[in-house]
Amino acid sequence: MTSAARPSARRATILSAALALTLAATGCGGTGSASVGREVTTITALDYYTDAREHAQWSERLSACGKAAGVTVEHRSIPGASLVPTVLRQASSRTLPDLLMLDNPDLQQIAQTGALTPLDRYGIDSGGYAEGILSAGTYQGKVYGLAPTVSTVALFYNKDMLAEAGVAVPKTWDDLKKAASELTRPGRYGMAVDANPTFEGTWQFLPFLWSNGGDEKRLDTPQAAQALQLWVDLVKSGSMSKSVLNWTQADVHDQFVAGRTAMMVNGPWRISALNKLNKTEKLHWGVAPLPVRRPGQTLVTPLGGEVWTVPQNSSEARQAKAARVLACLNSSSQMLALARQYYTVPSRSTTAARYAQEVPSMAAFVQSVERSRARTGRLGVKWPKAATGIYTAVQAALTGEQTPEEALRHAQRIATDS
Amino acid sequence: MRSGSRRTPDRPAPPRADSARTVARARLRERVVHGMFLLPALAYLLLFFGYPVVKNVVMSFQQYTAATFYTGSAPFVGLRNYAKILSSDLFGPALLTTVLFTVASLLGQFVPGLALALFFHRKFPLGGLLRSLLLLPWLLPLVVSGTTWRWMLDTDSGVVNRALRDLHLLSSGVPWLTGTSQALVSVILVNIWVGIPFNTALLYGGLQDIPAHLHEAAKLDGAGPLTTFRHVTWPLLRPVAGVVLLLGVVYTVKVFDIILVVTGGGPAGATETLATRSYELSFEQFEFGRGAAMGNVLVLVSLAFALVHLRANRRALNA
Amino acid sequence: MKRTRGWPSTIAGIVLLGLMLFPVYWMVNASLQPAGNVLRAGWFPLHPDFSGYTTALRDQGGSLVTSLVVAAGSVVLSLALAAPAAYALARLPLRGTGVVVFGILVTQMVPGIVVANALYGAYNDLGLLNSRLGLILADSTAGVPFAIIVLRAFMRSIPGEIIEAARMDGAGRLRVFRSVVLPLSVNGLITAGLFVFLFAWSDFLFALTLNTTDAVRPVTVGLYQYIGAHTNQWNALMATAVLASLPASALLVVAQRHITAGATGGAVK
Repeated sequence: MTSAARPSARRATILSAALALTLAATGCGGTGSASVGREVTTITALDYYTDAREHAQWSERLSACGKAAGVTVEHRSIPGASLVPTVLRQASSRTLPDLLMLDNPDLQQIAQTGALTPLDRYGIDSGGYAEGILSAGTYQGKVYGLAPTVSTVALFYNKDMLAEAGVAVPKTWDDLKKAASELTRPGRYGMAVDANPTFEGTWQFLPFLWSNGGDEKRLDTPQAAQALQLWVDLVKSGSMSKSVLNWTQADVHDQFVAGRTAMMVNGPWRISALNKLNKTEKLHWGVAPLPVRRPGQTLVTPLGGEVWTVPQNSSEARQAKAARVLACLNSSSQMLALARQYYTVPSRSTTAARYAQEVPSMAAFVQSVERSRARTGRLGVKWPKAATGIYTAVQAALTGEQTPEEALRHAQRIATDS
Repeated sequence: MRSGSRRTPDRPAPPRADSARTVARARLRERVVHGMFLLPALAYLLLFFGYPVVKNVVMSFQQYTAATFYTGSAPFVGLRNYAKILSSDLFGPALLTTVLFTVASLLGQFVPGLALALFFHRKFPLGGLLRSLLLLPWLLPLVVSGTTWRWMLDTDSGVVNRALRDLHLLSSGVPWLTGTSQALVSVILVNIWVGIPFNTALLYGGLQDIPAHLHEAAKLDGAGPLTTFRHVTWPLLRPVAGVVLLLGVVYTVKVFDIILVVTGGGPAGATETLATRSYELSFEQFEFGRGAAMGNVLVLVSLAFALVHLRANRRALNA
Repeated sequence: MKRTRGWPSTIAGIVLLGLMLFPVYWMVNASLQPAGNVLRAGWFPLHPDFSGYTTALRDQGGSLVTSLVVAAGSVVLSLALAAPAAYALARLPLRGTGVVVFGILVTQMVPGIVVANALYGAYNDLGLLNSRLGLILADSTAGVPFAIIVLRAFMRSIPGEIIEAARMDGAGRLRVFRSVVLPLSVNGLITAGLFVFLFAWSDFLFALTLNTTDAVRPVTVGLYQYIGAHTNQWNALMATAVLASLPASALLVVAQRHITAGATGGAVK
């Protein structure tokens, strides 16, 4: 039995040692694993381009830019919903990547933590950028992130269905309601949007809110109520499925492709998939600016796109290299290449103008983007509360739980709740 | 300790004074050996849960925001996070939804789960294979099965409504995911679908451990299947059944991924539970302190459920 | 022993299973649709398109191995830790058993994200990030408490006389545990092991949190190759899920076979 007892005793020693070790380790927090080498040969990059093809294209682009800067780039993509939680975790253990991509409305939130470095430190020129995207990348007067290209939403329509119903592309909300109702058939709706209870739903509602003079700072206004009423009318009249309450932008796209809706709100990143279907499935589609309430109103759409940043890091040499790669990604030639690849718009105005000449079909988007507003432009880090308020209001109004006015009063309470 | 247990009554007793010490030492050694059975698991649990739990509790008393992750500074705010979430007009509905979701899921999983376990308990050709295949849904990632359910439950194009229409049970579609009262039923159904295999497998394992001769004896006494179940099967199955229900409560209360994938908490907050609220507070609003507070409230609700259950069913855990 | 029923039960079983597994069938159906055609799927894939499967096979081989290794490792670790503990809590005269069991239950109430966040920092310092061992240890946070609770319930139903008899024969606690309790708990071990396997298999949170590279990437994370920020390939996604479940379901069938064997071979003495 002594022999039986001994292994147990040994096990106990090992276990308690492991316990002590881990407790000590968790207690003292991270010191970071920065290898303080003289020569920086690799840097890391993190983004959310998980789709296999997109990931490969970005890897290629990053390594090309890395080559120019004399480093190899280790590129990793994680699911979009996990990006911010991951970044926060990495911020607290000082393991942030050297080059970090963020969805533009998240930038101010992360910059606020102090985990990012201002780009002027590396002599990166942020002149000539469209105002919207620059405001999304700016926190307290300093630019922390730059996006090579940007995008926004527009109205996609099925040309054959419009022709068959004898309907013109709608320019005003009344046109839209009329067109949507005339395009509705058994098994098909006239219009589709994403009105789900996430920030994606909020994003799709913004062009209607903003173009009509609504404002995220004050949600309970008649202008906002009119915009919400439009969506309510579309659903009530049966021109838009009630399922919009549950659809993502990807679902909306699937509905459009399946011929279950004649029009939809979506972004240019869908164009390459739609182009493919144009050939194989004879899906003839067109894209136009979103309608406004009355002629003469200026269309204001939300600005989409991902900004690249250089996080704080123990090694200035690594930061410098990362900054060079970032500058390369934001060069005019990369902007143009990216824009062509993903049907987005270069974020420097002069480059965008050149692009509009070169690819006339993108002219509508180039125009919209010029006037696009960043979601965090007015409210900064308080945006998530307003965004929650907006989707809550949309859901309450579309289900008929509340009138648009009631729903927006509630939204305003959510937005200003501290 | 083996020496301790080997002492038999017919051995001559050692001198008295010595005996007390020996007995004490033997008892101590016995206790140490007993402890050794438990120690590795407890050490593991302490390592992997101790720090997270303490941290989450501390976090719930702090103004913990996104910035805290980098700066580490999180002012102590006392009970403010709790006051804030408890006074929110979203809390009441979310709590009610959580309770409804949990109770309905439990009933919906346990009763069919037990029925299926009893069904498979009888031997028949291919029974084993069919029983194993029942666990198939568990091999599918929730993103995938959740997305499939979303398609199936779509009002216009979903296969569920299509089937109901084809069978002439309905003329118009049921708004499974977009009706404020139907959506909760739908997420409960999906959760039940996930839970039935769990209940069946565990209960089946428990049934197999009931000695077969007891059933034989009951049958010889002329007991019908119902009487046998009530007086033989159920009493012997109770420890396992109790655990199944208990774990069912604990797992169901904290479900959030199914809800987020299937309805996103909508429509109009109709499927919002404490767990989804906690997630949103932390990762949409970046109010990590409040998210942690909500998480702790969730644990308390879970505890309340568990205590009620244990009270009603002491034998489950501690006969 | 149990009466052997005939084929009517089998038919009833198939019908019940068919209902339960309809969503799985629907996934298979979706996986056989051409890309972008998921919404138009009929009741049967009349014109099956296997491009989803070719994509999945090309991309996911390594992920599948990782998933299997991690899940199997978690089963071994969880059962090794849980079985002795369950025995102690079920059968040994320890003080405070109730409190300990309740504490173990409470660990299951803690949201996974809380554990994951805390582990990330610790793993980073210990060098456990990006390792299969790290993932096995983390995945077992669901497995160990679960297995203790389940095994304890099973071990409590072992007739006390059997254990007493062994003790009378002079067997020590360890011997009793090894040669009496464990063999009699085969059903519990398999049932608990099955779910520990499934917990680890379906884990997404730890796999994502505790890896900073793609070196250790289970299927659940690999699936995101088909869900991008701007695209989704539903057919490849569904095909991957279907393919990945095949080897694991073979394992389930084999393991479940032993449940009956355990009962007839063990419990009746």
